[in-house]
Amino acid sequence: MQINEQKQGDVMIVAIDDHLDTIAAPAFEQRLLGLIDGGERKLIVDCSALQYVNSAGLKVFLLTAKKIETLGGQLVICSLAASVLMIFEMIGFTRIMKIAPNREEALLALGSSAPA
Amino acid sequence: MHEGSISIHVAADVREIERLNKLVRQFGELHDVPSRTLYAVNLALDELVTNVILYGFDVPEGRQVTVKIATAAGELVASVMDDGRAFNPLEVKAPDLNAPLERRDLGGLGVHLVRSLMDAVSYSRDDERNVLTVRKRIR
Repeated sequence: MQINEQKQGDVMIVAIDDHLDTIAAPAFEQRLLGLIDGGERKLIVDCSALQYVNSAGLKVFLLTAKKIETLGGQLVICSLAASVLMIFEMIGFTRIMKIAPNREEALLALGSSAPA
Repeated sequence: MHEGSISIHVAADVREIERLNKLVRQFGELHDVPSRTLYAVNLALDELVTNVILYGFDVPEGRQVTVKIATAAGELVASVMDDGRAFNPLEVKAPDLNAPLERRDLGGLGVHLVRSLMDAVSYSRDDERNVLTVRKRIR
């Protein structure tokens, strides 16, 4: 799976591609947990390309949110397609995770703003 | 939607899920199954078949899972069959959706998704085989 990272101020933005399934999930998990281990405490996962996620992928979001919040940080998930947002709602993630409609709102939620 | 059915055999290997999903999509498009229904059925089948592949066999090599799909009278019915160890996924404890983040368990998400996405889910153990059947009404 393609994962792109971009640092903006003290926020790490991770953009993932269209398919987050059982095959892709381990690399995604390793990358996100690696970023947290490396000291990142403000994390955005940009899901604008994401079209399909199964429970293996959902677990990675849950695990990452748990880990970063334990360490006093925050994960914001942004730009979910309607079909993916429906899955997040179904599994109750919209109640326990910060979901933003786009990257700008995600940055604001982390107390940071997009560059002018 | 047109009446029809398909039987798909997949090897017990998670890399087969992508091929399964492609075949289901092709079948669905050929039978005019709405794309929203196809999305839900594909995700449910992914969860169910992946569970069997990962946990159903002591040695998955050489084993297979059979998926049957039939469309008729405003309903799509899909069954997942395997001769692995007896396992009823419907007995898996449902996740507590009201639990705060720190107390949310990682388990049970897949089965919960299947139950939520489908209109009916049933399990039987027939002749040393697990048969998990899901139904989705088509509006």
